[in-house]
Amino acid sequence: MKKAVWSAVATAAGMLLLSTSVYAQTTATVAVNVNVNARAKLTITGGPVNFTDADPDVTATLTSNALNIQVQVRTAAAGNSSLTLAATGDLDNGGALIPIGDLDWAVTGPGYTAGTASTTAQNVGTWSGPGARTGTQTFTLPNSWDYVVGTYTTTLNYTLAVP
Amino acid sequence: MKLLFRIGIVQMALAAATPAFCQVLQIQPQTITFPSSDPDTVPVVAAAPVQVSFVRGSGRGGSGSWSITVRADGDLTAGPAQIPIASITWVAAPSPPFRDGTLSSTVAQTLASGLGSEPNTRGSVTFRLANSWNYSAGTYTQTIVFTLTSP
Amino acid sequence: MPASLRIGWTVAALLALPLPAAAQSRTATISVVIAATARLSVSPAGISFPDSDPTGVPLVAALPGPVGITVKARAAHGATLRLTLRATDDLRSGVTTIPAGTLTWTAAGDGFASGTLTVADQTIGTWVGSGVRTGTQSFLFQNSWSHPVGTYTLSMQYTLSSP
Repeated sequence: MKKAVWSAVATAAGMLLLSTSVYAQTTATVAVNVNVNARAKLTITGGPVNFTDADPDVTATLTSNALNIQVQVRTAAAGNSSLTLAATGDLDNGGALIPIGDLDWAVTGPGYTAGTASTTAQNVGTWSGPGARTGTQTFTLPNSWDYVVGTYTTTLNYTLAVP
Repeated sequence: MKLLFRIGIVQMALAAATPAFCQVLQIQPQTITFPSSDPDTVPVVAAAPVQVSFVRGSGRGGSGSWSITVRADGDLTAGPAQIPIASITWVAAPSPPFRDGTLSSTVAQTLASGLGSEPNTRGSVTFRLANSWNYSAGTYTQTIVFTLTSP
Repeated sequence: MPASLRIGWTVAALLALPLPAAAQSRTATISVVIAATARLSVSPAGISFPDSDPTGVPLVAALPGPVGITVKARAAHGATLRLTLRATDDLRSGVTTIPAGTLTWTAAGDGFASGTLTVADQTIGTWVGSGVRTGTQSFLFQNSWSHPVGTYTLSMQYTLSSP
């Protein structure tokens, strides 16, 4: 069976008009452009991080509530991204200190890494390529009879780096 | 002598009974063709002009009113496809006695009319088709009839 | 009967006939040729999707707006007309690709259909017989954090056919 085909195309500029006879066939295109720029977004919910006081003999390690972390990045196909954490200082109750190095964390989620807090940036996660990664981070602190009574605080700064 | 006189009476009577004489209608060409055209660039397609000529003598009807009408036998057809015959109009000159009009298959349309003798009258009629993308592809035909009438 | 009398009867018979109108007819044949032809116009010649936050804008609308399509066709009586669209490739930025199926469209206009772009022909409109049909396609790009950074392009090919 003969098949008559007409086609039309939009070319570089303006409206394309294309007219053909019944047995002619032409092809043409409409150009489609999609722009995807580098972009990063870090979302942390579930804070602040709290440790509930406990008997050191019964609870040797204090465990905090969990933070929910979502890392969303747009990189090149093989581009790396990393999430780091740095404390502003030791845990401080206004006079007494608990060394920040006593603060450890455990994680869930692909690409996330367990570690120990420091005033220098510590790796929380690394990934390759674009995507959205969710995970959790739970802190632990050794319990001790040596801690001076008080409420200790510090600030943890997270940095998501995308090349 | 008597016989010759009677024959003369017969000849006069026959002449009086003739409604008109020397009445001739000519259409040229007799095929009106519309070429296929792009409706966007040629919204109205014109056919080659048709020459309509007629001769009316001085018979008994030669001094009365006369008319030329045109009527189509139906719509334009190409198999099951049709184009309404009213899609064809015409422009005619000179006016008068010729006039513009639209083809119809139900009522004969007047192409020209007058009163009295119009010896050697000739007109040019250009038929025009309203072009449309809605027409199905095909070759459409129809017959139209031109009629010269004197009462 | 004398000859003169016979002639007299003939004259009387002729005069007794009714007087018909003098009419003369001629016929002409009208021939109209309608060739099969088609015209397809697509405007604009290109569309683009700007970079957007996948969280806030999960579906990105094309710029400058809907694609307008006008199909003008003269086909055989009762013939079916079919307008198809296909992508010549996935969205491509160098070696990186995004599936063409991330582009969808919503159609407006009699006979036009909504759909999803693929590298295979997708029917975007069907009609019966000759005529002029107009419609629009409003394209959407499915945004995602997983799309690698880049400027992606593809070509869309429109084809009008009739058996």
